[in-house]
Amino acid sequence: MKGIKFVISLLLTVTLIWALNRSWDFGDPIPPLGKFLDPFHGFWANAEPPDPTDVQIMIPGLKGKVSVVYDSLLIPHLFAENDDDLYRVMGYVTAQHRLWQMEFQTHAAAGRISEIIGDKALDFDRTQRRKGMVFAAENSARAHGNDSIISKINKQYTEGVNAYIGSLSYGNYPIEYKLLDYEPELWNELKMGLLLKTMSNTLNVGEDDFEMTNALHLFGKEMLDVLYPDWEGVGDPIVDNPGGWKFDPITLDSIPLALPDELINIQPTTKVVKGVGSNNWAVSGIKTATGSPILANDPHLSLSMPSIWFAAHMKSPNVNVMGATLTGSPVIIIGFNDSISWGVTNAQRDLVDWYKIEFKDDTNNEYLSDGNWLPTRKVIEEFKIKGKDSFYDTVVYTHQGPVVYDQSFHGESEKNHYAFRWIAHDESLELKTFYFLNRAKNHRDYMAALEYYSGPAQNFAFASTEGDIAMRIQGKFPVRRKDEGRFVLDGTKTSNEWQAYIPNAQNVMIKNPPRGFVSSANQRPADSTYPYYVHSNNYEAYRNRRINQQLSVMDEITPADIMKLQNDNYSIQAEESLPFMLSSLDSALLTSTEQSIAELLRSWDFVYRPESVAATYYEVWYNNLYRNIWDEMTSSTAALSRPSDYITIKLMKTDSTLSFYDVQSTPEKEDLRTLIRQNFIKSLDMIDVWKNENDREAEWAQFKNTKIGHLLRIDPFSYHAKNGGNGSAINATSGTHGPSWRMITSMEKTGVKAWGVYPGGQSGNPGSQFYNNLIDPWTNGQYFRLKFPHSERETTSYRYFTTTFNSASK
Amino acid sequence: MRFIVQIIITGIVCFMFQKLFPWWTMAIGAFLVGFVFSNSGFKSFLSGFIAIGVLWLGLALYVDNATHSILTEKISQLFPLNLFVLTTLIGGLVGGFASMTGALLKP
Repeated sequence: MKGIKFVISLLLTVTLIWALNRSWDFGDPIPPLGKFLDPFHGFWANAEPPDPTDVQIMIPGLKGKVSVVYDSLLIPHLFAENDDDLYRVMGYVTAQHRLWQMEFQTHAAAGRISEIIGDKALDFDRTQRRKGMVFAAENSARAHGNDSIISKINKQYTEGVNAYIGSLSYGNYPIEYKLLDYEPELWNELKMGLLLKTMSNTLNVGEDDFEMTNALHLFGKEMLDVLYPDWEGVGDPIVDNPGGWKFDPITLDSIPLALPDELINIQPTTKVVKGVGSNNWAVSGIKTATGSPILANDPHLSLSMPSIWFAAHMKSPNVNVMGATLTGSPVIIIGFNDSISWGVTNAQRDLVDWYKIEFKDDTNNEYLSDGNWLPTRKVIEEFKIKGKDSFYDTVVYTHQGPVVYDQSFHGESEKNHYAFRWIAHDESLELKTFYFLNRAKNHRDYMAALEYYSGPAQNFAFASTEGDIAMRIQGKFPVRRKDEGRFVLDGTKTSNEWQAYIPNAQNVMIKNPPRGFVSSANQRPADSTYPYYVHSNNYEAYRNRRINQQLSVMDEITPADIMKLQNDNYSIQAEESLPFMLSSLDSALLTSTEQSIAELLRSWDFVYRPESVAATYYEVWYNNLYRNIWDEMTSSTAALSRPSDYITIKLMKTDSTLSFYDVQSTPEKEDLRTLIRQNFIKSLDMIDVWKNENDREAEWAQFKNTKIGHLLRIDPFSYHAKNGGNGSAINATSGTHGPSWRMITSMEKTGVKAWGVYPGGQSGNPGSQFYNNLIDPWTNGQYFRLKFPHSERETTSYRYFTTTFNSASK
Repeated sequence: MRFIVQIIITGIVCFMFQKLFPWWTMAIGAFLVGFVFSNSGFKSFLSGFIAIGVLWLGLALYVDNATHSILTEKISQLFPLNLFVLTTLIGGLVGGFASMTGALLKP
């Protein structure tokens, strides 16, 4: 009897432990409860006490001692005796604070999210692989691996990360591993390639070649050029140098608009996100209070927790550099040293093309190119899926690139085979550019560093203590013929492919322009005399003008003035559209409430202040109107893009007869005035609903409610910022995107001064006080002086704690 | 008295097991102590439950206090039940069953 009881009890105990030691998925994933709640090693162990103490860490392979002094923001200041140690410890330190994020980002790039969260991520994962993200990262890793300098620092960094991973057991895994019940894997050079390609993906793959091809069919070339002109005719180009382009450009024979005859029935997987962009500028000493140049940069990206940036200061006898690094990269990406500072914004340019492929038969083994049947290359991709069997996908490659869409993936008809040509697929050496920028002493060094840079193409602003300022748009750019790349191309003719690249020396650049400043905000790169055809579907129209207007009139500029400018909430878009929209309202037709809102809008100064109610009314009104005007684009079964805000507003003001004003879903024939009034009333209703739900006035910051979401969309790990700004303002903070790192440097000969802030915190651990401590200062437009000591001794006044690294004998 | 001693010994043994090994090894500790004390099945269950429940709750409270609840308040939003109750319950159940199993092994 007792024996049976024992067996039952034993079985119960073992089953209980088994059930509590594994994760479950009943719609919502449940972590292994026993493991997770265990106060010794479970999530409790991730909570950090507020007062850290100095620590000694032994890691293998160090040649000397490395001191890492943390300041009060938890920014590490690395003091190494040689470069190898510097990069090794940089890897270790970054992983200490951001390991889970480093891995998750690169898993996402590699299309491996299904491994962690199950098959709901499979379409995303397949898209990543089919776009050739891993292919691109492998090419990047190969190029970096073949470079004697970069292979060395990547190896040191990788071993540093892995030394940290090797020191971990379940108890000190980052909390996300515990929640999703998986383990970190070793870091490698491919992951660094993936990290770089993620940036290219964010910044390049917003093209709309399918949509434009469809638009060409539906609307004709004439209307197409009205709706989506190559050049909107607005704003200052980044470099305005008419007649100053003194070189012999490469010229190519023109090509026909090679088009498929039918509408393309593909729903592309990627969409342009409004609000991705950036600002940078450098002001010459003639315009500043100190007489030294000031540089400013704020890249606008998707706001996330942990932040994409990690701030660090790296010092060895050969380099002394500080700034922000992409988490997982060994070098500083945006920063400064004792002599120079630099900042980047995305250089909008069409760097991806789609080629319609003709396969011989449905085996996809051969494809047509210049009359010959060429063999394809097939790659079988395995997708491990949490809780399920692996999924296998065959990706076909032609010489142009991977065939992203075919009968097995988003290829709604059997004729839809499109190969993807993307500049990021090519071998490139981006880290070498940053390695040399980190060490650059002057403008010449900056120019030499940029020679290695391919993509994602960036507008590199520069300032030095010698007093120089400069801007250079650097990337690997194919030489384009007119309209080339706007539409889907015929993949059977190699004459449609990229024939040559713009030589680096012929890229757009300028040094010390007479106006006393350089700036960029993702607008058109150069004036119309630049001898190459440049095209992008999203040149910026508003921020660039505001920046230049302000900088032209500013004088005796101080860093505080620049801080104010980075947080400027004035919208030229509102200035150029609201008065017209208001003038189209017939006040006789409005109720008294509606009239009072119109009055409120009439007195608005176009500034998206956090507390502005008028900003909310304008924003909702304009967005409704915009969607309503272009309802043809969204209701069409073929994928189509909507014209830009600038073109929309221009058309409203200049063409009252556009057929698009008629709303498709109503029997009536609307005109623009009706549309403007209807959407005005509709927006008032929408805001009333919001006010009732939230029981407060619709102040802009409250209404916008900018979300800084955790990468896994875990709500308690996410934050909301109540700040002003908007995509068309310099402070380009939308609901999900915004200035992801604000940096200002004053390049004084007596010592470089720098300020910075970003929405997040240095620690990736939600159990740390440094996880979100920078969000509020960022929201309020505050900055922190970035401490830039030259020796460990200088840190005593603000030292928070120190980690000392020594070599562990193997 | 013997009951209280069993609770204390279970707590100490399991504390040491958990310091060094994964969470479920505390079941081995509770099992061994249960076997040695060989109380009735119910009493053993109760002593194991109380010992581990209190051990886990105590440490959880300590961590929570030392870290000003910085993570507790976030994680508690992910669970429908109070985290301290849940932690006590999960630890207690495993401890209780293991302890009872130990007691039942003795002929």
